[in-house]
Amino acid sequence: MTHWAVEGLETDLDRFHLGPVDLDLVPGRATAVLGTSGAGKTTLLRTLAGFLRPRRGRIVRDGIDISDWRPEERALGYVPQGLGLFPQRTVARNVRYPLELRGAPNAAARTQELLARFHLTALADRYPGRLSGGEQQRVAIARALAADPGLIVWDEPWQALDVIARYELGLVLHELRETDRIPIVVVTHDPSLAFSLADAFLVLHAGQVRTRCDAATLLRAPSDAFAARFVGYENVYDPGALEGGGPGGLRAWLRERAGPEGVAFATPDLPAGPIAPPVWDGVVRRVRPGPGGLQVEVVSDGLIVTLRIPPPVTAPLPAVGGRMRFGIGSSTAQPLGPGPSRGVAP
Amino acid sequence: MGDAVPALLSPSLPGGPLPVRRPWRTGPLWLVVQIVLSGSLLLLFLLPILALFTYAPVSHIFAAAGNPQVWASLWLTFYASGIAVLAAVVFGIPMGYLLARHVFPGRTVVESLVALPVVVPHLLVGLGLFLLVVPGTSLFRFTQSIGFPVYDTIWGVVLVMVFVSAPYTVLASELSFRAVDSRVLEAARSLGAGHATAFLTVTLPLALRGIVAGLILSWARAVSEIGGILILAYAVYPGGPYTGPVTATISVYIYDLFQNGDLAGAAAVSSLFLLIAFVLFLVVRISERSGWLPWRRGELAP
Repeated sequence: MTHWAVEGLETDLDRFHLGPVDLDLVPGRATAVLGTSGAGKTTLLRTLAGFLRPRRGRIVRDGIDISDWRPEERALGYVPQGLGLFPQRTVARNVRYPLELRGAPNAAARTQELLARFHLTALADRYPGRLSGGEQQRVAIARALAADPGLIVWDEPWQALDVIARYELGLVLHELRETDRIPIVVVTHDPSLAFSLADAFLVLHAGQVRTRCDAATLLRAPSDAFAARFVGYENVYDPGALEGGGPGGLRAWLRERAGPEGVAFATPDLPAGPIAPPVWDGVVRRVRPGPGGLQVEVVSDGLIVTLRIPPPVTAPLPAVGGRMRFGIGSSTAQPLGPGPSRGVAP
Repeated sequence: MGDAVPALLSPSLPGGPLPVRRPWRTGPLWLVVQIVLSGSLLLLFLLPILALFTYAPVSHIFAAAGNPQVWASLWLTFYASGIAVLAAVVFGIPMGYLLARHVFPGRTVVESLVALPVVVPHLLVGLGLFLLVVPGTSLFRFTQSIGFPVYDTIWGVVLVMVFVSAPYTVLASELSFRAVDSRVLEAARSLGAGHATAFLTVTLPLALRGIVAGLILSWARAVSEIGGILILAYAVYPGGPYTGPVTATISVYIYDLFQNGDLAGAAAVSSLFLLIAFVLFLVVRISERSGWLPWRRGELAP
């Protein structure tokens, strides 16, 4: 069991600056790193793996500062984007590679064991180029485990996988967390698997840590537009969209609740009974099936708001062009952007 | 599963109805054009070679094959070109790696310098080298004193060959090293491989196919060289000018026969050389394609 900690880590890459980042990577826990492209996710992982030298801060493994250790000395299973499988080696020889490097006496047996565990025995003599996406992922994880890593660092594990392969890989990562008790750091754009796997979330924005929190906090109070979209908030508005509007209108109401980067609220359900004030009024623009029911888009005070009618949908469907009344729970509207309410550490 | 995607997408493409396919309207014409054009080029390659073989009577070819002077020339040519390829391995591959992996000021200048021997007329190469090592210069005395005299020796032949052939290895190595995915390399490092081990187990095996192709080109270029050799080592003596029995590289030898009016002899030696070079080239190509490189078994997909 290794315990990893990242303390005040800062990295410069050309003009890009990452950090400071703090992380606590405990056996049996998984951390998901979220953020838009260019937010610094890969930079963080490559610094952890030892390919970028931190400018400040420490990476600590079991109390030892390993910030200036070489990648090969860190005993860390780094799976880069695209997996980095060796195209000229068969599946078995890919998995065997770290064992060969160490001159492990039981290399053959250990390879067989890992191949069997990840259902790769039948594919042992294939080359990676001839495998499906899901099979390649299993080879990557088997090969990483062959090096007995103290931490798994995976850049976008679910990239380019179909739903079944995603589900299966989710199970594998769960097992790593629960059975092998290896701490995991993943960069991902997939909300459902991030929520099923990760205990802790780190949201990066332009190299800065926006929030470091658990799943409940991220769901309740997403830190920025990206996090809000990520956790499934359909209604995200930047400050520009909230300009203008009538007095006492929806825009003015949302402006009061907005942060420096705008405001977001989760899709409000259309209740069957009376609506708690304030009550808003809008014109129905579109009705379509969506996650968890029927999505209804209405235009109110110049803003498009997405509402949901949860199943079973019994009432007559709202007609496009018709008027509709709805409420937004005043506590659900969340300010976006850096602010005093941020920085809840799990 | 992937097959279903285009079928689902194409009917909903914007821009109105799909164009009607007319598969046989332009196809055959285009094919004929391609065949005629590439056929003309193939004829250009083939006809001069056929002319050589038909001009030289078979008896002449056999006579050439029995001539020790011809064999001395062939040996000299292949021996010198072998050393030139070895030099390309030792000096060219590291240079390719340097150019592929490092950004430094003046890299564009270095890359242009590497490409220079490909475009410079080879007589100029010979002339330049000649001016450096002509008897009387200090470089002549130096090469003489260390036991590698250049003017009119095999080392002169090698020098010219390296000059004209090494760029192909440098360029091919650079491209091959650059094509190796750095993320594969990082995965290897993270799995416990140091710099050198990662290079030997990942970078080099992945780049090897391209490097070998470059080496074959280098060798072919070295064997066929004449321009520079005409000036620097027209006659090859074992220990420098006018010492011991004289030979010449095969192309110089053939040129000499032609200059002396022995057309049939020149054609016969040419035919013999072509046969040997062709067989050698074929052997190298076949062995390269059929599996001594570990992943060449039809299994490597991009």
